Amino acid sequence: MSFRRRIRPAKGGGYEVRLATEERELLAALPLQLLSLLDDVGDELPGDLPDALRRLLPPAYTTDPDAERAYVALTRHDLMEHHRESLETMSATAKATRIDHDQLVAWLGALNDLRLVLGSMLGVTEDEAEPPVGDAHQAEWIAYLYLGGLQSELIDILEGTLPDPVPGADDLVPDDHWGEPPGGLRWDGTPQPGDR
Amino acid sequence: MTGTAVPTEVERPETSEAPATELPWLVIVWNDPINLMSYVTYVFQKLFGYSRAKAHKLMLDVHYKGRAVVSSGPKERAELDVARLHQHGLWATMEHSG
Repeated sequence: MSFRRRIRPAKGGGYEVRLATEERELLAALPLQLLSLLDDVGDELPGDLPDALRRLLPPAYTTDPDAERAYVALTRHDLMEHHRESLETMSATAKATRIDHDQLVAWLGALNDLRLVLGSMLGVTEDEAEPPVGDAHQAEWIAYLYLGGLQSELIDILEGTLPDPVPGADDLVPDDHWGEPPGGLRWDGTPQPGDR
Repeated sequence: MTGTAVPTEVERPETSEAPATELPWLVIVWNDPINLMSYVTYVFQKLFGYSRAKAHKLMLDVHYKGRAVVSSGPKERAELDVARLHQHGLWATMEHSG
């Protein structure tokens, strides 16, 4: 990569974080906003959640409400805790000049959660991944694109820390001939955004 | 994560006692316009131990076909995989094969 890395492995372990004050303030503040939205979530079925939050708490079963209710009862608590911990960790360490591996993993989760919610609110689609001219939400678009760039850097770093592949795991995935040619429906029954 | 006992990775339960005749469940990841392609590839490697090449192929299936089957197994195992994918922000559902 030719650009200056903002996060890189530090001598003696952990990761060095080189961000401007404005970036750190954004990374500290945005998670708190999302955390306050999550405070209102109980054990609603995904279909009863606002669109942006349903993106963090999606359905496992699309055609069986009883199974979905059981899935929510089984998983909602842990799923919420997972999201909360990532967001709280990034907010709390956004001003740090060095973070450890677990904190970096939490940053990745928090960045992804924020992008999912921001992207949903902005109506991001495959064809509309940049702000429409004259869009009233320029600040949100800038934040969304900024978070994506930082997330890409984290993925590059963390992919290098993955353990070796599990022998034979690749061969256990069943063939799936669905969706050729591209098309069909999304998980929620809405059309795909179109061929790409 | 710091400071709590909630695990971020869950152990897979032994489910070998499931009847051999039971049709497996399929775990499906659906395309979405927000998740980065590199992130989806990373998550498949991290959660399932797939090679980078396999994870990349599955990601491309998600992106171009609209979905990919990423794992299969008894209901409990599939539910666990879906939950782990949901923790990572991917659009995962499960359905009975056959």
